Amino acid sequence: MRRSKLSHFLFFMLPALILIGTFVVYPSLRTILLSFFDEDGHLTLKNYVKVLSSRDTINKEGIARGEFPLGTLLHNAIWIALHLPLTIIMGLILAVILRKTWGGNLLKTFVFFGMVMPMIVGGVMINFMFDANVGVVNAFLRLFGLQVKTWTAHPETALFSLILGSVWLWTGFSMTLYSAGLETIPKDFYEAAAIDGAGPFVQFFKITVPLLKPITVVVATMTLLWDLKIFDIVYVATQGGPGGASNVLAIQMYNYAFIEFDYGKAAVVAVLLTVFTMIAAIPLIRSVGEEK
Amino acid sequence: MKKLAFVALLLVAVLSFSKLVVIGPWAGAEQEKFMPVLKAFEEKYGIEVEYKVYRGSDLLKTLPAQFKAKRAMADVIFMWGWFIQDQAKKGNVVDLTGLIDENDFIPGALDAVKVNGKIYGIVYTGKVKPGFWYRKSFFKKHGLQVPRTWYEFKALLEEIKKIPGLKAPIASGDGVGWPLSDVTEHFLITFGGPWVDRDLIEGNLKWESNTVRYAMGKLVELLKAGYFGEPTEWTMALKQWWNGEYALYFMGSWITGMVDDPEDLGVFALPGAKGVVFAADYAFIPKYSKHIEEAKKLIKFLATEGQVIQVKQGGHIATYKKVSLSDYPVVDREVAKILQGMEAMPDLDDTVGGVFQKTFWDQLKLLWVNPDRLDEVLEVLDEKMPK
Repeated sequence: MRRSKLSHFLFFMLPALILIGTFVVYPSLRTILLSFFDEDGHLTLKNYVKVLSSRDTINKEGIARGEFPLGTLLHNAIWIALHLPLTIIMGLILAVILRKTWGGNLLKTFVFFGMVMPMIVGGVMINFMFDANVGVVNAFLRLFGLQVKTWTAHPETALFSLILGSVWLWTGFSMTLYSAGLETIPKDFYEAAAIDGAGPFVQFFKITVPLLKPITVVVATMTLLWDLKIFDIVYVATQGGPGGASNVLAIQMYNYAFIEFDYGKAAVVAVLLTVFTMIAAIPLIRSVGEEK
Repeated sequence: MKKLAFVALLLVAVLSFSKLVVIGPWAGAEQEKFMPVLKAFEEKYGIEVEYKVYRGSDLLKTLPAQFKAKRAMADVIFMWGWFIQDQAKKGNVVDLTGLIDENDFIPGALDAVKVNGKIYGIVYTGKVKPGFWYRKSFFKKHGLQVPRTWYEFKALLEEIKKIPGLKAPIASGDGVGWPLSDVTEHFLITFGGPWVDRDLIEGNLKWESNTVRYAMGKLVELLKAGYFGEPTEWTMALKQWWNGEYALYFMGSWITGMVDDPEDLGVFALPGAKGVVFAADYAFIPKYSKHIEEAKKLIKFLATEGQVIQVKQGGHIATYKKVSLSDYPVVDREVAKILQGMEAMPDLDDTVGGVFQKTFWDQLKLLWVNPDRLDEVLEVLDEKMPK
């Protein structure tokens, strides 16, 4: 009986295991190994020293002056610090408001367009949105008599304009997940709370937010992963410029691999990205498991 | 029996040869101007040619991997000179020494594809980056004159700045960054001398040297005075300049094929310039081509007779000395004349290539909006030069 269970298990699992082993486990292990070897095949930490001491990764002078570029590591951190809360808050608010609004589903569809759109196109659109001549953002600012400029062309605004653009592109994702989550909360909870005298704000903070925590963890984890591996919109909109002011780790990895052809350094950035992702994602996922 | 075997062999050879594949960077209107060259070759030799468009930056990622696998995606490939040199050193390029006579080409034109005295590529036509383009009608309307000195140039910019409705006197083309690097090189050559360009390429001069700092200082002076517009996507900037939103635009000779009325175009170099950048196109035959002999015929044709056909289409300047001035359309003849008495310099960032090129473009974007950060820009450029 046990043997037949094992053979069934192997029969169904083996194809998946072979594929995961070949295309995920083996390349990951090779990348980790590659990061510890120099061009002559010697085991070394040189690649790590080169990457972590590089101006591209941490720009000490920029940090001291408070001027961009600050280095890819900090740029990614800023990206997470702004993009993650903004996406979660906006997605949740939109999901709650549009749930009972007339035409809410249609509006949700428009918000979700950002997610459906290829990120390459998204990058081009961000470029246009913040352009001094044709950009919608600058057209809005002009209404208030403010001076306009191409946001992506200036070091002090390039990264922030990309982050704002990515909030627009990604909010559809969190809004959709929260909308689905809202449907799972029993209406009785709200009715009981209303009888007890709880207003909409209290209901939101005492019922909606806590019960949506598993959704929030999924949204936060996925957004975090997206923020860490962000590449396409930056590459299309600014290529990490001007002067590296909007550069991010994934672009740095690409440059090492395909412009410098230094695969060791590229592997280091890949390993760092994996480690950061695990550090951030594992506690989040674990917190949901513990609650269950 | 022998005859039969020979015929059979010939038949196999003919059937097995499909067509030559050429990869080049020209698409759209530029491709249309290149196709008559390939057609002329097909008619002359009876060899069919297929043309495929790939950008240099895309080839940079795919060709090294292909060569490692001992494969070639085309028989003749147009690519940057530094890349051909690099691949020749790795043994991936067919030696073309003796196929063409170096004396038939403008001096130094083949230097970019030479390794240890051997020639590994051909030089095709090129594009000159002669200076600031203007509309004759615009200058006439506002009573503007072409400057003869640096001071006249600055006075002209000041005069233009006062014209109402203009964004700025000079349009700044953006994109990946090359339009800004073209202007910068022109300043380097004018105020540092043509040798500065070569010394920087060869690594004999530092970006932080006084010579470079002086030349860049002249550019920074204009940037700080607001004479250059904000970097704008270069084709959009072209339209804005043509529509009178800017007065001047620094661009290569290909601009003649991109405007509605080329007859209205005028161009001048920075006063005192003794050299202009001449960016030639280079082609090579990968060692893993299956039709090396046929490819040699094509590449020789491109370097010689092909250039005559190409310049007649407009927008290209020949490197082959046997192309006469009368072969050029009128507007290109003006550009070709600017070259006279000037030293033709290699394109700095195209020649150095690699990570430097990308950094150069990106740092100039920073300098354009933050001219006070020149020191930092020069420091980064020194850091990214090949050691």
